[in-house]
Amino acid sequence: MFLSSGYRGIGDSGRSSQSSPVGVSRRGFLAASAAGVGANLVADMSAINGLRSAAMASELKRQDKRVILLWLAGGASQFETWDPKPGTKTGGPFRAIPTNVSGIRISELLPGLAERMQHTAIIRSLNTKIADHGTAAALMECGRRDDPGIRYPDIGAVVARELGRLESKVPDYVSLYTSTEGRRKGTSGFLGSRYAPMFLSESMTPANILRSDSITDIDHRDRAALREAMAKRFVAQSKSHSVDSQMSAYQRVHGLMASADLFDVEHEPADVRARYGPTQFGEQCLIARRLVEAGVPFVKVARAWWDSHGQNFETHRELCADLDHCMSALLDDLEQRGLLENTLVITLGEFGRTPSINASLGRDHFANAWSCSLSGAGVRGGVAYGETDAEGQTVVDGEANAGDLFATILAALGIDHEHEYMLGARPIPLSDFGSRPIEAVLG
Amino acid sequence: MPTDLEPSSPEPVATAPLPTQVVVDATYSLPGIAFCCAAGEPPTTIYAGLSDFAIHRIDTAAEKPQPIRLGEASHDSYVTGLVRAGDRLISGGYDGALIWWNAADGEQLRRIETAHDKWIRGLAITPDATRLVSVADDMRTKVWDVATGEQIADWGDHEVKTPQGYPSMLYAVALSSDGQWLATGDKTGEVLVREFSGAAGSIVARLQTPVMYTWDPRARNHSIGGIRSLAFSNDGQSLAIGGMGKVNNIDHLEGPSRLEIFDWQAGVKLHEIEDTQFKGLVEALRFAPDDRWLIAAGGDHSGFVSIYEVGEGKLLAQSKTGSHVHDISLAPDATSLVTVGHQQATKVLL
Repeated sequence: MFLSSGYRGIGDSGRSSQSSPVGVSRRGFLAASAAGVGANLVADMSAINGLRSAAMASELKRQDKRVILLWLAGGASQFETWDPKPGTKTGGPFRAIPTNVSGIRISELLPGLAERMQHTAIIRSLNTKIADHGTAAALMECGRRDDPGIRYPDIGAVVARELGRLESKVPDYVSLYTSTEGRRKGTSGFLGSRYAPMFLSESMTPANILRSDSITDIDHRDRAALREAMAKRFVAQSKSHSVDSQMSAYQRVHGLMASADLFDVEHEPADVRARYGPTQFGEQCLIARRLVEAGVPFVKVARAWWDSHGQNFETHRELCADLDHCMSALLDDLEQRGLLENTLVITLGEFGRTPSINASLGRDHFANAWSCSLSGAGVRGGVAYGETDAEGQTVVDGEANAGDLFATILAALGIDHEHEYMLGARPIPLSDFGSRPIEAVLG
Repeated sequence: MPTDLEPSSPEPVATAPLPTQVVVDATYSLPGIAFCCAAGEPPTTIYAGLSDFAIHRIDTAAEKPQPIRLGEASHDSYVTGLVRAGDRLISGGYDGALIWWNAADGEQLRRIETAHDKWIRGLAITPDATRLVSVADDMRTKVWDVATGEQIADWGDHEVKTPQGYPSMLYAVALSSDGQWLATGDKTGEVLVREFSGAAGSIVARLQTPVMYTWDPRARNHSIGGIRSLAFSNDGQSLAIGGMGKVNNIDHLEGPSRLEIFDWQAGVKLHEIEDTQFKGLVEALRFAPDDRWLIAAGGDHSGFVSIYEVGEGKLLAQSKTGSHVHDISLAPDATSLVTVGHQQATKVLL
């Protein structure tokens, strides 16, 4: 059976609107979990891995979809990015500029991205209601709020779960958040630690990933070979998911150690590094490209901190310049390497910023009418979806919530958002109940 | 930033008593955020450049002063610089444009659409009203012939990028009262002083005020601050520089308001003054006619007007204004001033 111990576990129900590549029968799970479901459920990953092994040839894997989430931590202003309202009381000082897609205008602070709008779909109609940092960040990361007793996985963990490969020697989910303000590690929720992010906060290179200097490379390889030979003999004699899991863990650790170079931009040619620029965000975007190129399904790069309660326009002059330059370089690089069609680049934060401008020339938290963008894989580029009113106070067309955005991201990756995980006896769809992908932005 | 409001021929009054109070006498609502102002004729008439892209006139001597929009024309963005040249006004804006106006009826007399490639942050005019200076975020300092609109000079000696590789900003400009010296101040805290009367505009001093610029490399990974105001003393010997001290949380204007006064020709800093009670940016500075005291105004969410004795750098008096102050107009007799700022103007008695 799938569940290795007790009654705690998850799996795929196999119930969805489409055929599931990793489906198992719901009845089987119900039987397995007949003892009930406790609070704070955690997956037994040997069970999951067993399921995954059976589905390695899935269509999803062959598509090799990847995600780079540019997390605009603190909440970027939609007025100064994707939904400018020049000439209005709330619009601020910056102009709207035309893009290379007729009819779409964005803030003059994003001239590079305006020239690359053919790759990008803007969603201007998010109404997510929650406007405090922690709760809103959790909502946007997970596409829903936690229920009592259930910790939902964030989008990175879900993508890692759905697109990661068991045999992969690179991590499934890498999160870079080197600023301290609003730092969030990310959560794999009920998917368990197998899908938790490799979290880089103090350095852009993972800690403890390098071989100890006290061991030679030859010794290191010899030890691994000896361990593997002994393990194979043991596995042959004692089949169990626990043993499989242990083997998998060793392989992944060795893979991670071998992937240390991926985090070192010094391995990139000087001209490539120059294109990304000298800022920390630029270097992290370049690392993200190296990671997805090596097969990492989900990379989050947090660019903090956009919480411009004071001096909103000065802050956005600075941060938008960084975003515009680095994301433009990233899109170009991905396109030139043939990766953009399979890599979804997202800009998203926990909320937007108020239409009103306060006495410190700041904008405060605002979640009722704000924007994000999707570029690349699975996206219909050159689209501006949804509409806010003249002053950006409310959504007047195409309102979307966090669940809808979550479902849209999954759909862009070819993942059935209605597919269900089984948490004990409880089916949990990948995106929130009632959520719907925004078809207009999907390619 | 100084405007032609400063007396062009100051007559020092050494025996005049120092101000001992700052009293908000009246408050006027504005239809937006006022970033700059200039006194008209009579000086009780104040013109203000607003976030509605227009110029507004307020007769502060009226029984119930009301802002009246000047003319039909407008900038395409916030109006951030305003000076008077006789019967004309000249404005600059975030649209990079300069506009000449008839101060009486608001007729647009001249418009230079692309005076700068980026946002104009401030204007200054020579005492004889023949030369206009503009500074902008293209990090250029440009000189214009007021009569013809011809560009006379274009200097680009401020760094375009901050040390961290982000766009810098050129916030502040001031001319000495004799028109001989020009000072410009940028985001990173550097002030350049030029010999303005000469054609070459050669740089004669570089002053550093690094405390005015807060770069947060760890928590928030961006910056705040910069030099927001400059003023020469009337004798041209001292240069006052305004901004904000170091800030822990750069999400807000929570830093101490900060003022530095230099004997700029000697390169000697005379005073560093920080106020942790009246926080935020020092947006405007004016020396008294006798140079014995000066006014610093600005704010965070709220606003303030403070008066300092120049010799010792001591606070003489101060008051909250209720609204962040972006600019001030000092009356010729220096007994009152008008502040303009966040949706509000105030008349302040000294």
